[in-house]
Amino acid sequence: MTELLSLSNIRAGYGESVVLQDLSLVVREGEMVCLIGANGAGKTTTTRVLTGLLKPWGGQVAFAGTPIDKVAAHHRVELGVSLAPEGRQVFPNLTVNENLLLGSYSRRARPQRKRTLADVYDLFPILASRRMQKAGLMSGGEQQMLAIARALMARPKLLVLDEPSLGLAPKIIVDVYRAIVQTAEQGVSILFVEQNVRAALSIAHRGYVLANGRIAFAGSAAELRNSKLVQEAFLAPRRTNQGPAPIKASPIGTQREGGCA
Amino acid sequence: MRPELFLRWAGFVLAVAVLAVPFIGSPSLADLTFRTCTLAIIAISWNMMAGAGLISLGHSGFWGVGSYVAILSANHFGVPFLPSLLFGMLGGAMIGAGLALITGRLRGIYFAVATLAMSEGLRVMAVMLPDLTGGAQGAYLNSALFPGALAVNIAASCGAVLAACLSWYVSRTRYHYAFRAMRANERASQMLGIHPMLYRVSIVIVSGALASYAGAVSVWYGGYLDPGVAFNLHITLMAQIAPILGGIYTLAGPILGTLAAAGLGEVTRQWLGHVEGVSLLLFGVTLAICVLYLPKGIQGGIDRLFRPVAKAPLADDSTPTRTTR
Amino acid sequence: MNLLPQFLIDSILLGGLYTLMAIGFALAFGVTRIINFAHGEFIMLGAYAAFWLFTGWGLDPLVVMPAVIVLGFACGWLLFKAFIERVLTAPNINQILLTFAIGLVIQHIAVILWSGDSRSTTPEYALKALTIGDAFIPYGRLVGCGVAVLLVAMLIAWLKWTEDGRAVRAVAQNSDAATLMGINVKGIYALSFALSSALGVATGVVVSFIITVTPFMGFPMLVKAVAIVIVAGMGSIVGMVVGAFVLAFAETGFAYYVTEGSGWAEGVAFVLITAILIIRPYGLFGDAEA
Repeated sequence: MTELLSLSNIRAGYGESVVLQDLSLVVREGEMVCLIGANGAGKTTTTRVLTGLLKPWGGQVAFAGTPIDKVAAHHRVELGVSLAPEGRQVFPNLTVNENLLLGSYSRRARPQRKRTLADVYDLFPILASRRMQKAGLMSGGEQQMLAIARALMARPKLLVLDEPSLGLAPKIIVDVYRAIVQTAEQGVSILFVEQNVRAALSIAHRGYVLANGRIAFAGSAAELRNSKLVQEAFLAPRRTNQGPAPIKASPIGTQREGGCA
Repeated sequence: MRPELFLRWAGFVLAVAVLAVPFIGSPSLADLTFRTCTLAIIAISWNMMAGAGLISLGHSGFWGVGSYVAILSANHFGVPFLPSLLFGMLGGAMIGAGLALITGRLRGIYFAVATLAMSEGLRVMAVMLPDLTGGAQGAYLNSALFPGALAVNIAASCGAVLAACLSWYVSRTRYHYAFRAMRANERASQMLGIHPMLYRVSIVIVSGALASYAGAVSVWYGGYLDPGVAFNLHITLMAQIAPILGGIYTLAGPILGTLAAAGLGEVTRQWLGHVEGVSLLLFGVTLAICVLYLPKGIQGGIDRLFRPVAKAPLADDSTPTRTTR
Repeated sequence: MNLLPQFLIDSILLGGLYTLMAIGFALAFGVTRIINFAHGEFIMLGAYAAFWLFTGWGLDPLVVMPAVIVLGFACGWLLFKAFIERVLTAPNINQILLTFAIGLVIQHIAVILWSGDSRSTTPEYALKALTIGDAFIPYGRLVGCGVAVLLVAMLIAWLKWTEDGRAVRAVAQNSDAATLMGINVKGIYALSFALSSALGVATGVVVSFIITVTPFMGFPMLVKAVAIVIVAGMGSIVGMVVGAFVLAFAETGFAYYVTEGSGWAEGVAFVLITAILIIRPYGLFGDAEA
């Protein structure tokens, strides 16, 4: 499979705080890859670097084989990368339909707008029924569907999702994930970033664990699920409501065995 | 010599000079000194508020209130010179308190707009209440109460020196840090135990009183007042240009900037004084250049000059973590 | 004598003008979040352009308006790219002071070039009036209001139905998300600013035959525009129309029903600003995201 996206040795952060020390990951065509990590691990920083909203201090981002570090953020959509950002970030005072039309603003997507719109409404019937509603008035789950649909309007080769399950009820998460899988089946490669590890590993082919600014573990979904690292950090029964326990991984590259460091 | 020490000595010498000129200087020098001192007072006043994150676009409002309270108390109640100045300050303090309370927590643009509304609203009131203020025709100060040019000049000089001392004092107290925190992020500063409302009201009161003092002294100097003179936009402009030119948020900035602006004003008056609008045009251009290219003003220039030797310890924004003292 | 019909007509005609004035200003503010304190000066420049073209070449202000608007657009664009763009991410104070300074510079260039004397254009229709019953409708104001309403309607249509108009609305609501759509946010900022200037200039052309033209006419109009935007709150065009008419009615009401009211009418804008800041700082229709 060809490499679609590759992040190599990314070093990035905000102001004086370094969030990503040395991040490397790869997404190949046709894959569903997840990036999991605790709150504050740098998942959103990763998506921001990827889409060009944040300039990294070091490392390289390449798409379809060519480095895109010099490509401005608003041009990256043309290349075929589309993001459904953290917190949905729909345009609150615009209708669902207008949000979707904006999704196909790019020159790449505009000619096929009508067809894409019809496809997207098929995929998310609930949006079709809310076509004329102001996006800001919708529920969290509906907004998440809108964010994904809007990202799909750009006809991406790679769809990036930042925490699609955040704040959603379990039943809605099922719906959202079903839509993600259906999208993948139509040939779109998917990279999604998640705190909800169980859900993520249930659909992903491969995954990376982000901790302390680096990839602490990488492997197939099964490998991740079986690794002690992931189990202890994310899948162990919680004693408090603190979310996943902090990963005490050793910050050395990726681990390929089933066991942990 | 380290820059801070140099500036301190220079400041001392300047204070002595400014206090001496009314006694021993020529009339034109005294006049220049007077105008420079009143400018210094409003520059320091504006800088104080800006230091707390409050941008005033209506400083002419405080000046005008000070002027009107002084002239009205003199004309209507026969209040002599010095007490009228105090009343002027009181007027400014009250307006300041009102402004701070009305604007509540509003920051940045909204606060600036409110100051604009305040000063222009006061101007309209001055025009529309002729029985009280003499309206658009203006009013002449009752000359019987005039205390003599010397007294007025000294009042201005003392005011300038005291304003400088006051700003130096504030920068040495914990209020200084409170204001810096508020400037950066007022909401967050609350978490440090700083009660923004209290600090906001107090800084606006002090600032307003200072600016009103300058206005009050000016009306005794000029002997005439009308709404256009009292609430002139020019005043607001100069109150901003001086600190920015000199170095905003710093101690010496307003003073350095006042000197520079006064100098610039004199030069344009000599050469181009007959062409209407040139001086304001130049000041506008100066302001724009400072904002775009010299955000730290003259003080910043001085800092850069002496950087290889020592960093200027005067409190300003460029140094990230620094404890003065 | 029943003043009411006249009062209503004057208020409505003024409201139309104020809507154009406010929306032109609000466009730049809503999208870039920068208060353009030089907006009043653009209005003034438009008025002077109309005046000189009328006096010099006998051209009717309405005829020259399209050309003047295009010129205003270009000037706004240049101004943005040359200066305003640099303070997009600067602290508030820099933005405020820069536009303030620019306004001052433009104002005094006008003083130097054209002196402080009052001017006005006097096309034929400005001197005539219509009479309906008790009411006296000056043609100038009627035409002015009509043109204003037309321009506002065109702007609203552009915002609602064109690709770029939609992009402008998107950027105003969430500039990061807009970037993800492929929208060049910096370009949209420049576009909004240029459009705002164009509308400001158009406002100037329209008022050139209604009020006196001086280099200092811009500032009071800016204050009124700010008052309307504050009353309305950010993000609502409907609110702005309402705000414009509220101000128009209040000012006209003062002029008609209060002794010496026309003097006090100037202060109405400030009272409104103060009142709204006390009662409901985010405006009557605004989202509390200011």
